[in-house]
Amino acid sequence: MKKALMKDTVKEISNTFKRFMSLMLIVLLGVGFFAGIRVTSPDMRNTLDKTFDDYDAMDIQVLSTLGITQKDIAALEKIEGVEKIEASYSTDAIVNIGETEEVVKLMALSEHINQAKIIEGRLPENNKECVVEPRFLLGTENKIGDSITIEVEEIQNKDGKNQPLLKEKEVTIVGTVHSPLYISSDRGTTKLGSGKISYYMYIPLENFDTDIRTVAYITVEEAKELKTYSSKYENTVEEVKQIIEDISEERRQARYQEIYDEANGKIQDAQKELNMQKAKAEKELKDAKQKIENAKQQVKNGKAELASQKTTTNAQLAQGKSELDKAEKELQGKEKIFEAEKKKLQATLGYMTPEQKEQTEKQLASQEQLLKQARNTLNTQKQNYETNKKKANQELTKAQKQLNTAEKEIQTNEAKLQTEQKKADKKIKEAQEELEDAKIKLADIEKPEWYILDRNQNMGYVSYLQDADRIDNIAKVFPVVFFVVAALISLTSMTRMVEEQRVQIGTLKGLGYSKRQIASKYLIYATLATVLGSLIGVSIGFYMIPKIICNMYGMMYTLGTPVLEFDIGLTIAGLLAASVCTVGATAYSCIKALLAMPATLMRPKAPKIGKRVILEKIPFIWKHLNFTQKVTIRNIFRYKKRFLMTIIGVAGCTALIVAGFGLRDAVGSMIPSQYGEIFKHQIEITLKDNLKQEDSQKAYEEITKNQEIDSTIRLNRQSVKIVKNDNNQSIQLIVPEKVENLQEFIVLRNRKRKEQTYTLNEQGVVITEKLAKLLDIDEGDEIIIKDIDKVEVKTKVVGITENYLLHYIYMSPKLYEQLYQEEAKMNTIFANTKELTEEQENALGKTILEDKDSISSVEFNSVATSIFSEVMDNMGLVVWVLIIAAGLLALVVLYNLSNTNISERVRELATIKVLGFYDPEVYEYVGKEMLLLTIIGILVGLLGGNFLTTFIIKTCELDAFMFNPQIEIASYIYGIVITMLFATIVNIITYFALKKIDMIESLKSVE
Amino acid sequence: MAYIEFKNVVKAYQMGEVLIQALDNTNFEIEKGELTVIVGPSGAGKTTALNILGGMDLVTRGRVIIDNKEISSLKEKELIKYRREDIGFVFQFYNLVQNLTALENVELATQICKNPLDPKTVLKQVGLEERMNNFPSQLSGGEQQRVAIARAIAKNPKLLLCDEPTGALDYKTGKQILQLLQDTCHKEKMTVIIITHNQALTPMADRVIHFKNGTAHSIEKNEHPTPIEQIEW
Repeated sequence: MKKALMKDTVKEISNTFKRFMSLMLIVLLGVGFFAGIRVTSPDMRNTLDKTFDDYDAMDIQVLSTLGITQKDIAALEKIEGVEKIEASYSTDAIVNIGETEEVVKLMALSEHINQAKIIEGRLPENNKECVVEPRFLLGTENKIGDSITIEVEEIQNKDGKNQPLLKEKEVTIVGTVHSPLYISSDRGTTKLGSGKISYYMYIPLENFDTDIRTVAYITVEEAKELKTYSSKYENTVEEVKQIIEDISEERRQARYQEIYDEANGKIQDAQKELNMQKAKAEKELKDAKQKIENAKQQVKNGKAELASQKTTTNAQLAQGKSELDKAEKELQGKEKIFEAEKKKLQATLGYMTPEQKEQTEKQLASQEQLLKQARNTLNTQKQNYETNKKKANQELTKAQKQLNTAEKEIQTNEAKLQTEQKKADKKIKEAQEELEDAKIKLADIEKPEWYILDRNQNMGYVSYLQDADRIDNIAKVFPVVFFVVAALISLTSMTRMVEEQRVQIGTLKGLGYSKRQIASKYLIYATLATVLGSLIGVSIGFYMIPKIICNMYGMMYTLGTPVLEFDIGLTIAGLLAASVCTVGATAYSCIKALLAMPATLMRPKAPKIGKRVILEKIPFIWKHLNFTQKVTIRNIFRYKKRFLMTIIGVAGCTALIVAGFGLRDAVGSMIPSQYGEIFKHQIEITLKDNLKQEDSQKAYEEITKNQEIDSTIRLNRQSVKIVKNDNNQSIQLIVPEKVENLQEFIVLRNRKRKEQTYTLNEQGVVITEKLAKLLDIDEGDEIIIKDIDKVEVKTKVVGITENYLLHYIYMSPKLYEQLYQEEAKMNTIFANTKELTEEQENALGKTILEDKDSISSVEFNSVATSIFSEVMDNMGLVVWVLIIAAGLLALVVLYNLSNTNISERVRELATIKVLGFYDPEVYEYVGKEMLLLTIIGILVGLLGGNFLTTFIIKTCELDAFMFNPQIEIASYIYGIVITMLFATIVNIITYFALKKIDMIESLKSVE
Repeated sequence: MAYIEFKNVVKAYQMGEVLIQALDNTNFEIEKGELTVIVGPSGAGKTTALNILGGMDLVTRGRVIIDNKEISSLKEKELIKYRREDIGFVFQFYNLVQNLTALENVELATQICKNPLDPKTVLKQVGLEERMNNFPSQLSGGEQQRVAIARAIAKNPKLLLCDEPTGALDYKTGKQILQLLQDTCHKEKMTVIIITHNQALTPMADRVIHFKNGTAHSIEKNEHPTPIEQIEW
């Protein structure tokens, strides 16, 4: 390039600095926005990566249902690819703060992996200290230095006895920390308290009074160097995961065996002990029995002896008696004979001599004497006999008595023995039963499950990456708007510039400069503006936009400082795209001019010829327009390019604003619509699995009795899938107990025709809208529902109902019975409550959960609503970003156009100024056009906003959600008002620009 | 007192580092209803003087009084009002609004005036009765200048200022235009000032002001101006 031309180019820039600036600015905006928003998603990912690196966050964690042992750790450590491994403990706990209770995730501080980052204060130095998350202090109004009490369920020690888990229950907060495990506000669920974990906190590992660990954190070699979101990282981690998976079977078996053996050993010991005890008891009993038997025998013998003695004695006595009797009889005979003789003798006595007499008498006396003697002897004998008899009888009685006593004793002993035996039996039976129980339990010991999780199971991590994806989607759309506008702007600007310099181009051409040399000036001009604009644009864009967006997300996620990267690829892409737009446009206008002959160029280009517009052919309208209106309309038609540009610019602005607000509407009305209009109930209570019919009934009645609960409905809720070209939508099937009561809790209605409601019947099911959309199901289609047990049923879709969150299939109980041949089991209760405050809700939740055996969880829909208000605040920021972007766009476009407009028509404007138009009138002369164009632009923009919103919603929407595509009227109004505001700003600038038009200069004869 | 008084008017521009004295202590007077021709070479300051008279430029020093109104001390808004109500301007390059028909161009001026003449009548007067609804691009140069004059006259101004009105026209057409201006002046009793570098035109004027080096060098009065058709150049 010749020196003179170079100088001319430089001068051109300084002379038309405003044009140069505006060209640069639109490039800056376009490229800046493009680069900025495109880099945001990678920046977000990198921020996540860096944060996780800083924390030394685990790549894999292994959880076991039976705990992780030292042996497990040793086995894991040996795996190739495992860099570091750390066993840790975490559990759910309740923290008492004054009178309130908070459910927390209680974790052990780790040394290497998943380090807690100190935000304030310090880490605990002993068991009496703890650190909490910052939100804990905010939420509980505690401060560092305060004491809290941790309540945890007791654990079983090795001997199977319960012991407290913690050595120190009362701990002092010494600091606040962030954890990589919880980067979002979601803390997970628990079986404790209201079912929701509110905060997390850390205590030293030593405070856990157990050898068992609940989790093993693992980092994978080389994984830290890789970007956590990259597929390379995934693969690296997956490899190790696979190996862990492979050894897990063995470890699980080992752990099972360990626990089994331990338990089994105990059972064996107990059995042995039992057997011993049993034998001992049996022996003792047997001895006792033997003794009793012996005693019995003795008694029996005694009895026999006694009997024989009795017989002998009786025989002897009888003999004695009979002898006595015989002697008596003999004696009595003798006495009779004697008496008879005596009588005979006495009768003869008189006849007898005295001697004879005497002799006889003597004889008689001696005989009598003898008899008497015999009687006496007999009497003595009789007496002896009696005595003997008495004596013998006495002896016998005594023996009898003794026997009786012995017998009684035996009986007592026998009774005693029986009691003993019963006692022993019972004891043994009990011991036996215990053993049986232990055996059953032993059989019940299940192989532990190993959960091998990676970062993808970290809720915050995943949702953050999803958010990054969403930004990425937006990044694909928005910059296009800016680029289109930038291209159009540069086209008008550069065309105008080339046209303004026709004469000069002609002169140069006349002087013999080549086309390329002449064009180079404008190309350099455009290139310079583009390069400068692009570089400044990317510098600002790479810095500002990711920062704003990252900070916005920073409210929802606790992450490190945003990593802002300067992306060379994007810079080049942006630069190239901008160059195509601006330099291309310049080349186009140059070529057009350069093709003309020098002489033609030297002559001023004839101003655009005035023409009648179509409207004039409709006198009905044309006649009713006043003069300026006519002028305005003719001018609009005269400058078609500007007309188009203005409309595109303004429409773009309005569309962006409407999209911003529309997006807010879409996201914002989702939850209030879901919880309030569609789901009318406040509580969802899940009953425990395998609950018996009567327990379920009891629990239900208990809940209905609660004063704060107005009405309830029982339902069967289960996860199902729809069988249709491999979709993964998780769907909940809901079968209400009573179809007629359902509408009190869930409204089934068509979104577009709200008055059209659905009642469940036997003809088919009602499915939710997003599900229908995702799987392309229409009313009347047949679907196949597959439940967890892989049972498939076929039914018809009779309705598609409005729904924004998750997917549901609603089915009448009768249809369920028809399809599954069994009654639907009512496992869920939905309840409407009275108006409750948050505390009342918590209290109610606690009350319901008191029935631990029946109730599995209680969820309040208000929780979802409150989480959502946070999201909404962030949406507000998105709206702001869009408004600012839109505003900048509108400003640049309108300003540029108005500038072009003025410079193009400066003669005309100077003329009317000379004619004596007041400033406002001059403004009106061009302003009316602008106003009309702005209005048309706004109208187009409203339409465009609608499309844009729909588009963004489509790209951003997750499968599980449906944003409400209905844009509120207010959003359109905002779009109109804000666009008008920006237009007004430009108009004010225009007003002053018009005022500054120098009549004399402008009307000077054309050079 | 004369209808128009130009008293010790100085107009200086700062052009970069050079101070350009466009008007250097210029004095002249013009009477009402006169046709004045200002002649002089390029750069003599005629246009500057005209611009000041037309309320399009401000004086650096001195006073300009027109019909007892000191326009050199008017504020911007008053200047616009002055242009609007008292001045009609005719340029070398017509400066018609391309997007408006002949009639509309005239209406553009009349709609903002207090006592405008009927646009159609004026156009008829300048001989464009048939071409009223044509756009400038459809008219010849002379016709366009007629429209411009009609636009200026229709405002019913006190002063009709013409800057090289025939500069872009051929001889014959130029003559017709000058005739029109002369007629307008004499028939409508309008004060007309014409700038030209063509010395030959001076006889047509009632008053001739010669400009040289930024000042009114000499002023002469023609008691018997020559009708245009008699002037040849």
